[in-house]
Amino acid sequence: MSDRILRVNAYTTFDTLDAEAQGHGFAESALAVLDVTAPREDPREVTLALELDNASLSTLPAHADRVRLSAAEARELAAELERYAGRVEAAAEE
Amino acid sequence: MPSDVERWKSEVYGTEIREHLFRFAEAGWDAIPDDERDAWFERFKWWGLYHQRKGQESYFMLRIGTPNGVLEPGQTDVVAEVAAEYATGPAANPIFGDGYVDWTTRQSIQLHWINLEDVPAIFERLESVGLSTRQACGDSWRNVVGCPVAGKDRHEHVDALALAHELHETYKGHEEHSNLPRKWKVSVTGCREGCGQGDINDLAFEPATKSIDGEAVRGFNVRVGGGLARNEPRFARDLDVFVTPGEAAAVGGAISALFRDHGDREDRFSARMKFLVDEWGPGKIRRVLEDEYVDGELKTAGEDLRGDYSYNSGYATGGHADHVGVHEQVDGTYYVGLNVLVGRMGAGDTRELARLADEYGSGEVRITQRQNVVVTDVPESELDDLLDEPLLDDYSPDPNPFTRGSVACTGTEFCSLSIVETKNRQVRYARWLKENVELPDGVDDFHVHLSGCTASCAQPQIADVSLRGMKTRKDGEAVEALDIGLGGGLGEDPRFASWVRQRVPADEVPGAIANLLSGFAEHREDGESFRAFVERHEDDEAFLAELCAPEETDYEDPMLHNTKLTWYPYADDDGMDASPAPAHPDGSPVATDD
Repeated sequence: MSDRILRVNAYTTFDTLDAEAQGHGFAESALAVLDVTAPREDPREVTLALELDNASLSTLPAHADRVRLSAAEARELAAELERYAGRVEAAAEE
Repeated sequence: MPSDVERWKSEVYGTEIREHLFRFAEAGWDAIPDDERDAWFERFKWWGLYHQRKGQESYFMLRIGTPNGVLEPGQTDVVAEVAAEYATGPAANPIFGDGYVDWTTRQSIQLHWINLEDVPAIFERLESVGLSTRQACGDSWRNVVGCPVAGKDRHEHVDALALAHELHETYKGHEEHSNLPRKWKVSVTGCREGCGQGDINDLAFEPATKSIDGEAVRGFNVRVGGGLARNEPRFARDLDVFVTPGEAAAVGGAISALFRDHGDREDRFSARMKFLVDEWGPGKIRRVLEDEYVDGELKTAGEDLRGDYSYNSGYATGGHADHVGVHEQVDGTYYVGLNVLVGRMGAGDTRELARLADEYGSGEVRITQRQNVVVTDVPESELDDLLDEPLLDDYSPDPNPFTRGSVACTGTEFCSLSIVETKNRQVRYARWLKENVELPDGVDDFHVHLSGCTASCAQPQIADVSLRGMKTRKDGEAVEALDIGLGGGLGEDPRFASWVRQRVPADEVPGAIANLLSGFAEHREDGESFRAFVERHEDDEAFLAELCAPEETDYEDPMLHNTKLTWYPYADDDGMDASPAPAHPDGSPVATDD
């Protein structure tokens, strides 16, 4: 297997999440690292990066995925997360 | 647009930081405005001070750079004195107590729990014997490392100590080299065994011979762009340059200047020399160096000695894998290398080390890149008495291979980056392995390096077993875990570890190593070293992973929980809310607005 691609330290957003990768004809589960960050200098976008543990992957090669979000997109995502988190919490309280 | 750090550096950086440091020391830690802390903490690094992690506000790690790891007579005792008086915190470490010294992988010294208010007194004490924290951290020439027995070693090809000192004297505090895009790590090796570990440095001088005008001249080949951090490890690349000892310092400065001018100041994550070498290639680096930074033509590389390199190589070549043990020096006296498990030594033991060095040797002590110490210049007639000293019961010149081979970084005890406990854990691992596991016949060296995160301060990728901090879930709980790599090492053809397991719960790692060594013994070919064994199987990842199967044993790990969420992992009440920080030097709390 390969070394991890994302760096993992105390500033990493989540070092242990459940994740799935799905494709045509395959689905894989693994623990994953999810990190949200912006460059320390002249930040113009928010980066959201996801890496599934490659030791748990049999179909996919070791890799990390990144999406780049504008500040507005990051806020929209945050609002969506907030809204759905509320629904999950409400359901848990029922 | 330059980074925040570059902006802070453009305002105040280098030598002038000292006056501000002393100003804040006088006024107290809480005199640093909240919105200026990040800037000042970044600048303080240039003078060797790192602010400790969350929950330990107002406390600093202090790093003393000892060029080539050499502590001159009289200096070790002062280090012990400063550690005893100032490196004491609000809670004790269960293994090492309070007031201890860390010998580091870059032949430096780290003390913890330092209060800013004490810094002027500490500097005065250190500087009175010629020690300094200057540029121990920050974006400039870090402590120059090298073969720790340079100048005394029977295997020395060329005198590396003179060059290490010349580089230190020339470029520490040099205005033109004090503000680089990123840290600048330099290694000088003069011996045949590769003890300077040049391959993992930004700039490496390595022993070589060049025929010049029909005469075989001893000097150095030059490599650039090594480094282990950021999941982007690189071995230094061959620049195809030979320098005589007399030319070496000037060429080193020229390469530093090239890095200063062309390194990336926009993105600190891509700023190290290794990325410039990636981008340009060694050929362009050499060409620009020759065209713009040095006078005259550079010589092509000489004949190197890399085929003899044994230090931390993972191969049983007959050469030194470390400096532990009793070895004859070139002058007929001896050096005695003592194993310091994970590099940490109490202040009292450090004072005793200084006494032994004074009584049996010349008073000099040297620090190795494997976190051990060396007492030098011991006459043969004094050896037996030195070896009978009680201190050597704890810091043995002939230790068990598992304690001998252990290296660990600072970890969550103090470090802002780490995500797992490291030093105490590695002590527990080594002790368990010593009691429970046998190495196969003929395997004398077995290196296990534990790093708390991907910053790689324990140099995990160049060990027989590489352990790197991670997290996982076990029985529904979040627990500290380690990724496991195998078969790394330096030598003629250095190799990074092959990663074979991810997220092994920390309490199952000793069982995994026991299983690994059992499998190694079973499948090993005659005389095969562990690294050679891994290389033979490197295309069979499943086999290596299976050998290294995690297993619970009677090893118990008291720090399996998430230690980064504590204010101090070993406090009776370790919750972040129980933190006594920030605090004044007398331990009383600093009033905060919170």
